[in-house]
Amino acid sequence: MKVEKIVVIGAGTMGSGIAQWFTQQFCSVELVDNSTDQLSKAINSIHTSWDKLVEKGKLTQEDVHKMKSLLKAGKLGSVNKDADLVIEAIIENLEIKKNLFRDLDNYFSDHTILSSNTSSFPIELMADAVKVSRRSRFLGLHFFNPATIMKLVEVIKGKDSDHKLCEDLYRWFDEMGKKPAMCKDSPGFIVNRVARNFYGEPLRIVEEDDESKMKEVDRVLKEVGGFKMGPFELMDLIGIDINYSVTCSVWEAYHKEPRFAPHKLQKQMVDEKRLGRKTKHGFYKYD
Amino acid sequence: MTNISFEDIVINFGFASKEEKKKVLNDNPSKKVYMDLTCYDPAEFYAEFPQLKGSFAALFCDEDKKIEIHFKEKLEVVTEKLKELGFTLIETSIISCGFIFPRTIVQIINEAYFALEEGVASQEDINRAMKFGVNYPKGPFEWSAGREVYVKTLLNELFQKTQDQRYRASNLIKD
Repeated sequence: MKVEKIVVIGAGTMGSGIAQWFTQQFCSVELVDNSTDQLSKAINSIHTSWDKLVEKGKLTQEDVHKMKSLLKAGKLGSVNKDADLVIEAIIENLEIKKNLFRDLDNYFSDHTILSSNTSSFPIELMADAVKVSRRSRFLGLHFFNPATIMKLVEVIKGKDSDHKLCEDLYRWFDEMGKKPAMCKDSPGFIVNRVARNFYGEPLRIVEEDDESKMKEVDRVLKEVGGFKMGPFELMDLIGIDINYSVTCSVWEAYHKEPRFAPHKLQKQMVDEKRLGRKTKHGFYKYD
Repeated sequence: MTNISFEDIVINFGFASKEEKKKVLNDNPSKKVYMDLTCYDPAEFYAEFPQLKGSFAALFCDEDKKIEIHFKEKLEVVTEKLKELGFTLIETSIISCGFIFPRTIVQIINEAYFALEEGVASQEDINRAMKFGVNYPKGPFEWSAGREVYVKTLLNELFQKTQDQRYRASNLIKD
């Protein structure tokens, strides 16, 4: 499969990570954002990261020189219309995404694959925004942060996505060193669904706002289970508000299935603005 | 299920029904009993059997044999015996049905089975997603391999105790 010319829309954390990873595979990448400031910040940050990798001996100067020439900042309207693959990584707002895909559909060649890095919206709803003829080349590609390090890519088959195209992409990612997982277009896909109970069940074990119990649960799950972080320290790192919002989104999407129900403590903490490390107070206190 | 008896102590290992576990306690009224209660609620057993002096969860442990253990009465001979048998003891003061690790992991496994049942992804892809997307040390199906009966028993116990639908097992586990 030919995956050589990539356009990434959105130069935030995910978009720039995705652009960096593709460039590291020696693809020609155009990173697009409405904000020129955001774009130059992202490109500078990627260049700095590559320079550090050269210092650490993980990349050669020649490779980085080539990568810097392959990565370009662009504006929609001036990027290569003949791209092989477009990945949208903008704000999680369905209407904004649909409007964008309408424009992308009109702009890019018929053979271009359009994909979304959404973590919360059904692919099917976004595919509705493009022409029927494009829908077989429309799918989800869900990367994990940081995209250059986390190996998983969820390849999400929409209702009309071409099965062979999804399988070819799956194989391509596999060959490029990612660990792809094929999944159906369903709420939370795989990870954001199956991981919910890593947070929900410990919350029900401690039941109340008791720091010593949380510490104990974190310790046991790391020592016995081999998890790198305990659920409470991880929720503090992710942000209580972010984690609560993903939980609510999956819960709502599954028609309030009790397995996904948020815990009362999560809402209470969001209301109190105890959002984790970023506010220096979550389940634990930080100096 | 096996029992190791020494001095006035019985250490009970392995999986059995709740009735069989209670029979071991009934058969040893004057001994100090330490019991694997991975799939059950230690609080229920402590309340019924004063001779139960400690409980542990060994059914989900890996090759490193790290087990979660709760002591009502901690005896050095017991900890030494368990260490002799190769176990590393991770003590906990929290008494919870299914302890901490088994209870959390069966819920993750159950959700993975629901996803499989609904055709969201293959077992292999679900395992891979959890290992490489969120750095789990194992995939849910790798954790449950050979332990399906423990997963089913603990989920049923949690459901019986709480009557909460969140513990309803996937059909693939029920079958």
